[in-house]
Amino acid sequence: MHSSSFSSAPPDHRRFTMSSRRSRSRHSASSRITDEQMNELISKLQTLLPEARLHTNDRPVTNANAAKVLQEICSYIRSLHREVDNLSERLSELLETTDNNSAQAAIIRSLLM
Amino acid sequence: MSKTALRPSPKKWHTDREQNIYSSKLIETLRRIRRSSPKAEDLRRSRVVREAADRILAVAGRGRTRWSRAILFSRNLKIKHSRPRKAVYFPAQPKKRRRSQVLKCKAGVLGRLVPGCRKLSFPTLLEEASDYIAALQMQVRAMASLTAILSASGGFSSPDPDRFAP
Repeated sequence: MHSSSFSSAPPDHRRFTMSSRRSRSRHSASSRITDEQMNELISKLQTLLPEARLHTNDRPVTNANAAKVLQEICSYIRSLHREVDNLSERLSELLETTDNNSAQAAIIRSLLM
Repeated sequence: MSKTALRPSPKKWHTDREQNIYSSKLIETLRRIRRSSPKAEDLRRSRVVREAADRILAVAGRGRTRWSRAILFSRNLKIKHSRPRKAVYFPAQPKKRRRSQVLKCKAGVLGRLVPGCRKLSFPTLLEEASDYIAALQMQVRAMASLTAILSASGGFSSPDPDRFAP
């Protein structure tokens, strides 16, 4: 499995016809998506960002800030990963020190509420 | 090409029901971990917890998304394969790069962050990413809430006479 590489287009006989030369992009996969579609898709992702990160991105996604929003999304995923790591660590520590029965009772109570 | 029957639905990650199911399964697994390796090193146990949390999250995905399938299948590979990484090229003046190139670069980064999504088309990648983010958010909520409950009850741990019963 090699890393994603948009620059290597799949072999496609259509690339050598006159009509395909008109498309600006050499990458056959991306030329099917318009800028508008791309911005719309990125907008949808933008709605998942929490409030704190939205202040830099409260404007609608345009060609100008699409890359910024994508970057923000990547950074957000990384921070979520870190949070899960931290919580895993804390949970594993708590596993050792927690009194089993009282913990069980507390958990069951909270899940039933 | 579109698999409408298998389209992921990010909305379910926001429901209490899904979160409770996740929490229950996680607790069950945590108890099993605690029983099986009481003297495990902190680092190793933390990793076991993380992997269990991810696996349970992937199972909750019901196999509808690539990221969830990728997590489940990657557990079969015990060895973490490290492939030689391409040297990343940072041009001296990044602003001069074409916008399409910049977007592709960022999309590539996103593809590497979401499990199993390295070589996807842009729309599919964003669809996977949005489901993945929603799932991660639920995972964080569930684990944070569990941590809060356990640390609260752990703080008041009083010796339970039944524990020492034969």
